[in-house]
Amino acid sequence: MKNLTLLSVVAIMLASCGSSSSLVTLDQKYPLMYQEQPISIVIMPPINQTNHAEAKDYFYTSLYTPLCEKGYYVYSPYLTMELFQQESAYDAELFVEADLSKFHNVLGADAAMFTIIKDWRRSNVGGVISVDIQYLLRSTKTGQTLYSREGKIKLDTSINVSGGGIYGLLANAVATAVNTAATDMIVAGRKCNAYVLADMPTGKYSNLYGKDMKNPAGKEIISATIKH
Amino acid sequence: MMRKSIYMGVLTLSVLFLASCSSSQHLYSWYNYEDIVYQYSKNPNEKLQTKVLEQYKMVTEHQRGLRATVPPGLYAEYGFLLYKTGKKDEGLKMMKEEITLYPESEMYISRIIKQLEK
Repeated sequence: MKNLTLLSVVAIMLASCGSSSSLVTLDQKYPLMYQEQPISIVIMPPINQTNHAEAKDYFYTSLYTPLCEKGYYVYSPYLTMELFQQESAYDAELFVEADLSKFHNVLGADAAMFTIIKDWRRSNVGGVISVDIQYLLRSTKTGQTLYSREGKIKLDTSINVSGGGIYGLLANAVATAVNTAATDMIVAGRKCNAYVLADMPTGKYSNLYGKDMKNPAGKEIISATIKH
Repeated sequence: MMRKSIYMGVLTLSVLFLASCSSSQHLYSWYNYEDIVYQYSKNPNEKLQTKVLEQYKMVTEHQRGLRATVPPGLYAEYGFLLYKTGKKDEGLKMMKEEITLYPESEMYISRIIKQLEK
């Protein structure tokens, strides 16, 4: 009886570790990642569909360290930005469906990471920063999409100090507005990267390289609200 | 006795499993690189530039991550900034270090070096 209890505890632990209910494995969801095994990734300037012009520049560089941590060789966006501007390639809209072989020929990149910013918004009243970003990794050799996922992340920056009646409520509203305004939007962008890329297959510099095929894949669109 | 040791074994395994589950282990140590470079790109002034150079030094000299080596692109960025701030030889040396460490970067780094020396 005791053993049974023990066994069930272990089983629950194992189950809780993998992302719940997902039965699709990484190699089933992203087979081309394992076929092509890209080593190097160039980050394309984000495609900004929002009215916030600054979102493009700020979000652009935020993908660098997370992709390095996934085990890829990542071309420094600070350096490629200059190159893109010189080559009039700072608008990724031109490339998202086009031939990418020049990035292979000029940089040696195996794949290009495109991002489409669909939402990038701050609401001081409710204290919420929302981002909605789609990620697309395309092969520079075959043009095929190797990996794609979308993140809808809400960062809750509201402050709630209990007590104080109507004045307390007012104080909370003011504190929330200040906190929201002071929180850099990039914090939400970085969270989005972390949530989305969590199920991206790893590259050759990762300790998990070649061992993650049977890990569970996440949902196509990942939504989360995070308390900041 | 036997039962107890099995119990302990399972417990140890569970703990190990949980530990590996929340893999907070990073491949590289970044220190405050991300924040400082981000601030600098928003507001490129001399004070922040000094801080950026400090971060480059930390990241290239003190790696405690799983790989115990400098992350991709860091030698290139460091070298590029050194070159731009007048330390040309040191900068070029650093950029060549990137190629040695990551041979897949050769085409790209050579291109940058060529442009700088034009």
